[in-house]
Amino acid sequence: MNLRPYSAAELFQWLTEKEDFLLLDVRNNVEFDRFKVEGPYPIHMANVPYMEFIEFEEESVAKVPRADKVRIVCAKEGSAKYVGEILVKNGYRDVAYLEAGIKSWGNYLAPARVSGTDGYELHQFRRPGKASCSYALVSGNEMMVFDPAKNISAYQMFAHERGCAVTKTFETHRQADYISGSPQLAASTGAQIIGNENDFHGAAFEYKAVQDNEIFNFSNGGPEIKALHMPGHTPGSTSYLIDNRYLVTGDTVFILSIGRPDLGGKAEEWSKLLYKTLKSKIDVLDDDLIILPGHYIEWGEANSEQMFIDTLGSIKRKNANIYGIQKEADFVQFIVENIRKQPDEYAEIRKVNAGLLKVDDEDQEIMDLGKNECAASMYANK
Amino acid sequence: MSEAINVAKVMDLKGLACPMPVVKVSKGIKEVQVGEILQAVTSDPGALTDFPAWARTSGNEIVKTETVGKETSFYIKRTA
Repeated sequence: MNLRPYSAAELFQWLTEKEDFLLLDVRNNVEFDRFKVEGPYPIHMANVPYMEFIEFEEESVAKVPRADKVRIVCAKEGSAKYVGEILVKNGYRDVAYLEAGIKSWGNYLAPARVSGTDGYELHQFRRPGKASCSYALVSGNEMMVFDPAKNISAYQMFAHERGCAVTKTFETHRQADYISGSPQLAASTGAQIIGNENDFHGAAFEYKAVQDNEIFNFSNGGPEIKALHMPGHTPGSTSYLIDNRYLVTGDTVFILSIGRPDLGGKAEEWSKLLYKTLKSKIDVLDDDLIILPGHYIEWGEANSEQMFIDTLGSIKRKNANIYGIQKEADFVQFIVENIRKQPDEYAEIRKVNAGLLKVDDEDQEIMDLGKNECAASMYANK
Repeated sequence: MSEAINVAKVMDLKGLACPMPVVKVSKGIKEVQVGEILQAVTSDPGALTDFPAWARTSGNEIVKTETVGKETSFYIKRTA
C-alpha cells in the first residue's frame, strides 16, 4: 500500500473509537516531551526522531514496532512523509502521515452536542491538543460562542451548516494559555465581543464591557444568558449562566481542580478574590447546575459520551479538598503550595489577546501549541 | 561581534522546511574536515530544536547559534 495522508479529524476519531494503531511521533525529544497527542484511551506510541532516520536509517527502522497500521506525526508534515517513505520501503504496509503536522492536531476542534432540546442547541467544542473547551449556543438563526479558539473557521462552518449568523462572542476572561479567536471572529462576522473590563481594559479592539448579573438574549427570545462576575483566576473572570441550567465557567470551575489564580503574578491577592468567589458566588448556586469548563487536565474527566461536563454537586464532591476549605488563609496556602511555573509564552499570549501585540501566523502557531497549564493543582485528588 | 569563527563552508538553508535542512546539513558536514566549522543558515523555526537534536544524534558539536530576526545560523564543528 502507498503512503497516504490522514487528517487531525481522522486521528481524533481513531483515538476516541479505540482503534488499534501505532502512533509514531518523529519530532525531536524536546518537542515530543513538551507536547504529545493525548486521547481517552492508552495510545500505543513511539518516539523515534526523524534525524535518527537521516543518520542511521536501518537502526531507526528497527526501533519502530511492527504494527499493522502506522500513523506518523511530525511538526509540519514533511518529516513524517520522509520517514513514511522509508517505512514503506522497509515493508510496513499501512503507513500514513498527519496532514499539516502536529499544529493541525493542536488546532483541531471536535464539537459534541450537550443539549438539543428546549428550542436551542448547546455544543461543546473539545480541543484535544490544548485540553480546552469552547462552546456554541444556537437558537433560531443566531449562534453565540464562548471562548473561541483561533481556528475560527470551525465555528463559522458550524454556523453556516445551521444557517446561522454568529452574533456574539463571549470571553470568560483574558486567556493566557491560548490565542483567543474572538477578535478575528468579530472582524469576519460582525459579532460583538463581550468581556469584563478588569481583563480587557485598554484592549486594541472594540468590546462590550459586561456587568455582573447582566442578561443577554437572542433576538427570537431563546435561552437567557446571565453574566456572573467571578474574579480570582483573573480579576475580570466571568461565568455565563445559560437558561438557568448550564454554567460556562472558563477557568474558574474545572471538573478536577480550579483555575489557578497566580498567573497574573499576584498569587495572594487573587487567591483571596477566588476564595470570596467560591464562597459567595459558587456555593450559592444549585448543585444540579451543569458546569461547562474551559479546560480539563486529563481525559479521565470526560463522561461516558467523551464530553467534559459535570454537575456542580458532583464537582464539589470530587474536589472536596478545595471546596471544603473554610478559611481564607488555608485557601491561600493551598494555592501557594501548588504553584508551578507558567510557560514562558503566556505573557505574550495575554498581550495578543488584548490586541496589544501583533504576531504573524507562524509565530501564533508556535505560541498557541501545547497543553494548557491553567489548573491550580495538577492532580487535585491524587 | 564576539570572537571570529573560522568557517570552512556556508550552507544557505533558508526557505527550506523540515526535513530538508537536516538532510542537507547531514550531507554538508561530511564535506568539511574533522575539526572544521560549517555555518548553516536556516529560516525554519523548527531548526531551533531540530539542529541541536541532530547534532546530538550525529555526534557533531554546535559551537555557536546566532539568531537575527527570522534567520538562525548554526556554527557546527565536525567532530564525528
